Amino acid sequence: MNKINNLQDFTPFFEPQTVAVVGVSTRNTHALPNVFMRRIRDYGFTGDIYPINPTADEVEGFRCYKSLADTPKPVDYAYIGVGGAQIPAMLAAAKGRTRFAHVVSSGFAEVDEGKALQEELVAAARAGGMRLVGPNCMGLYSPRGRITFAEVGSRELGHVGVVSQSGGLGTDIIRRGRNRGVKFSALVTAGNCADVTPSEFVEYYFADEHTHVIGLYLETAKDGRRLFELLRERKASKPVVILKGGRTQQGLAAAASHTGSLAGDDRVWVALSRQTGVVIVDTLDQFVDTLLLFQSVKPNTAQPTKRVTLFGNGGGTSVLATDYFARLGLDVTPFEQKAIDELAALQLPPGTSITNPVDCPVGTLSQDEGRVAEKILDIIFSSGKPDALVMHLNLSAFVGRVKPEVLDNLMAAALRVRDKYPGQAHFMLALRSDGEPNLEERKREFRVKALANGVPVYDEMTNVGHALAALAAHERFVSSRAQH
Amino acid sequence: MFAVMNDIPKMIPQKLIEAARAQQRSALDEQAGKSLLASYGISVPQSLTVKNAGEVDAAMTKLRAPVVVKIMSPDILHKSDAGGVKVGLKSATEVKDAINAMAASPQIKAARIDGYLIEEMAPAGQEIVIGGLRDPYFGPLVMVGLGGIFVEVLRDVSFRICPITRLDAEEMLDDLKGAAVLAGARGRKPASRAAIVDALLKVGGENGLLMTHADDIAEADINPMIVSDNAAVAVDARFILK
Repeated sequence: MNKINNLQDFTPFFEPQTVAVVGVSTRNTHALPNVFMRRIRDYGFTGDIYPINPTADEVEGFRCYKSLADTPKPVDYAYIGVGGAQIPAMLAAAKGRTRFAHVVSSGFAEVDEGKALQEELVAAARAGGMRLVGPNCMGLYSPRGRITFAEVGSRELGHVGVVSQSGGLGTDIIRRGRNRGVKFSALVTAGNCADVTPSEFVEYYFADEHTHVIGLYLETAKDGRRLFELLRERKASKPVVILKGGRTQQGLAAAASHTGSLAGDDRVWVALSRQTGVVIVDTLDQFVDTLLLFQSVKPNTAQPTKRVTLFGNGGGTSVLATDYFARLGLDVTPFEQKAIDELAALQLPPGTSITNPVDCPVGTLSQDEGRVAEKILDIIFSSGKPDALVMHLNLSAFVGRVKPEVLDNLMAAALRVRDKYPGQAHFMLALRSDGEPNLEERKREFRVKALANGVPVYDEMTNVGHALAALAAHERFVSSRAQH
Repeated sequence: MFAVMNDIPKMIPQKLIEAARAQQRSALDEQAGKSLLASYGISVPQSLTVKNAGEVDAAMTKLRAPVVVKIMSPDILHKSDAGGVKVGLKSATEVKDAINAMAASPQIKAARIDGYLIEEMAPAGQEIVIGGLRDPYFGPLVMVGLGGIFVEVLRDVSFRICPITRLDAEEMLDDLKGAAVLAGARGRKPASRAAIVDALLKVGGENGLLMTHADDIAEADINPMIVSDNAAVAVDARFILK
């Protein structure tokens, strides 16, 4: 089979003109293929939809066709959600008229008894002249192609391209990403990757102008060598974030040498990260947090992020965050004297700490209805000169004590200062809440405003820290490779 | 007489592997392993093999004491445990005594003996380990660590996917928690970083040993490699074949 490795060859997958849906039912309208058909129609897919059903004339208002070989036009994208044993014969019958088959059905190599069936599936796809994505996954979310398997998903074409080997986690990434403001150029669930591998999608995302950041959830890396070579060659020209499952289970069962016993599966991922600049994260939260940051800020490879200023309310929060950031290799160290003198000259009320972290009780922050923050931030930018500024607001301490517009004024002030010193420091916001419904609602509204201004918003300082450390690692890698 | 082992660069590396396979060995013996290293330009100690104590006098005229004597036997995997290694021998007499003592020990008597390896002792220095491994998905990996407690107990090692660049090799050393030891911590002489980087590139770099023999070598241990302030010498080597 020809290896697909360029933008044009994957275009029919991400932007199909014709979609076939295998497995539609005339009786059960809740069957996944029926749901998929309705979803893409509702999502605005305007190409031809061909339900495949050997016996029915019509399903849910769409004319049915007997097989992939009988459709009026060749099929760009076939969604296949029918019992696994039936699939090979269907694919083999396509006679070269189908470009991509996305098999969502399970029962293949993810279980021992399905291994032979998966081999049969791959052989059938080859015989039918198509590339196979999956099996054992959920489908494709592609705003540009108006294709979605997910119940929710923005119509907006974003900049984050994702490949997930897990369908369920793919859905989580879309849903959580949406609530956090991550906007996708596409998300493919690729399951067992029997034919098309994650590396091929990564290659597509590197070439795709809409994709600025690449995220991968991987469980196996059958084409690890190809992934390594591709990533090494691309030199992190786009940030790549990998959430790797199963890092601890594998490793060499019976190592004969000393080196073998020291290996463990994790070491190769650390090596991959050090040699190619990909960022490896451990949790779904870190994955979404990191993608959000890369989506929002332009990496500063001329001066990799090191010095961070924390500004907000909550003394203990500042102290804990300083320690946590230090463990992640980020410096929250006091300003030089000039900045401290200038901040002291503002004569802020007692209880305000001005050395970095800049810790301001609500009383200070609400002075002049929140506009005092502008003066503080101006000094932080002009004299403190951090690589990144994290503003953290504990909403519990504000609500009920000060007018609602104080928070808005704080935000507006921060944005004005950020724009006055363009490109000088990454700016991120932590909105902390205790989970009370009214605070959560306030936080949600406030987050939407911040995101609209390109400011990434986090729940806690630890989330900010991990994302910022990932950004710093990316910046350092690009910087170190530029020098050699 | 005795086999001269230092005429090594003329040996074709693949032949060493083929010879071991022909003898149905699952690993290269120490001598073959060192020949393989030498063919990639990695320093190994000067050495000669003798069949018995009678050949020692002639051999010792070509070697500089102190030397180490090691038993060579396909039946003895752990030479030290079998009493088959004697270090710090300063004269031909001491070497002969050591060989006679080994030959008399019951465990060695029971084994097939290929001969005895007499090897110059490497100059003092920092012990490090360089390793190799074939990952089923990513292909050859190269490893470096500091010797002794650092690798045995603390597992302070750094891996990379082959082939590595010079910058990768430098960063591997920076990754080690004990990296300061190389610079000469606690009054010791510094170990040559350049010599380690050079050895890492010869093992794990483009056209290096592990890339060239990726289909044959499953695992490799160069343990220890002794690094002085200007050289890195592979004192023991083990290559496990796929």
